[in-house]
Amino acid sequence: MASSTTTSAFPLVVAVDDSSAMRVFFEQAVAGLGVDLRTFPSAAAAAACLDTHQPALLFLDIIMPAKDGLTYLQELRLTSLHEKTQTIVVSSKDYAQDRASAKDLGVLEFVAKPITSRQLAELISRYTGARAIDESTRA
Amino acid sequence: MSENYLRFWGVRGSYASPQTDKLGVGGNTSCVEIRAGNHLLICDGGTGIIPLGDLLISESPTPETLIVFTHYHWDHICGLPFFQPAFSAEWKIRFFGPGQNVGDIEQRLSNQMKSPYFPIEIGSWAADIEYVKPIEGKIPHGPFDVSYHNVHHPGTTYGYRVEIAGKVIIYMPDNEIDFLRSSIAQRTDEFTEEEHQMIARIQREERDVELSGVRRADILIHDAQYTPEDYSKKRGWGHSCYVDVVNFAIDAEIKVLYLYHHDPGHNDVQIATIHQECLALVAERGSSLQIHVAREGAKIPL
Repeated sequence: MASSTTTSAFPLVVAVDDSSAMRVFFEQAVAGLGVDLRTFPSAAAAAACLDTHQPALLFLDIIMPAKDGLTYLQELRLTSLHEKTQTIVVSSKDYAQDRASAKDLGVLEFVAKPITSRQLAELISRYTGARAIDESTRA
Repeated sequence: MSENYLRFWGVRGSYASPQTDKLGVGGNTSCVEIRAGNHLLICDGGTGIIPLGDLLISESPTPETLIVFTHYHWDHICGLPFFQPAFSAEWKIRFFGPGQNVGDIEQRLSNQMKSPYFPIEIGSWAADIEYVKPIEGKIPHGPFDVSYHNVHHPGTTYGYRVEIAGKVIIYMPDNEIDFLRSSIAQRTDEFTEEEHQMIARIQREERDVELSGVRRADILIHDAQYTPEDYSKKRGWGHSCYVDVVNFAIDAEIKVLYLYHHDPGHNDVQIATIHQECLALVAERGSSLQIHVAREGAKIPL
């Protein structure tokens, strides 16, 4: 199984969201945090990374072009690599049916948009243990 | 038969409403027939598919038939166990809907026919049944170009884009428009000015994506279940307020909008009032959008 850390030695955080503005929010959230963030606009785009890496934390949007986030997570859960990958859903959808599906798939939190970079940073710190770092120490 | 047309067989949302004061619009749940020569596309299998099947069963030769489901909520599948062509060896029927694979589609359609919910299972279907998987996001079907996209409704739910003979038809019976906008409005005090700007950008981006998927379609068949008063009580139930639908259709430069998935509690008079209010909104915005009420039995040449 691939490590949750990468060559940067910081925990890997992956965010899959078709909104470019949301991906900027993720980038703002990790600024100064000791994590290695990789963002992707779709499940297909994320596959190259997630096929070989287990992130310390995975963020998934639900409504995206082609595969939706929960269907993608269902597929990921069938692999040994992602059977237990820590996952948070961040979506503009906020329905009981989707929350129940997410819970069945072992999602840690289901967060309804809008969400801010502050709130994302809190979630990342809570589930990866990442804390603010001195940028000069970054690999 | 070489005629191309679209016909509404079921126009209600949630559950059938066969009361006399609602039959001018119709009481059956979601089902639309789109015909191009000997190719038949059926969108959803609510109770409207039952009278459609009753008519089709005497058709010879049988048409090439594809039935697409937006999702598996009961109002979209509950007519299927009574769809006569499925029980005829003369027919070949292809099914498509949300699912990771064809096995998922079969399981989700067949579960409603398992004991104790129904007396016979899908094993009793005599038709040649095929569950199809998309090819590069499209479902091939003769002269039709059928593609799908995820929409805003509980569970994985698709909207369909159907291209036929140079016309674009969008079928989105269940879709809650502008949910994010109202989510933002409810929590506006939580954010800094900079965050507001970013959140507004996220909202615009989501809106643009939704609009681009339907832009300049000839026909948009869209969920218009709620009045503003209904929506104030039922926000988050997965359906749209007609005001948001009209604004969405105008912004997307749609030619003709059919108000669809009518609330089962609304009678003919109430739906006529909704229609008038929609027309007034179009006039206010100076738009050329045409709006009609989707009525059971209405047949639209393509």
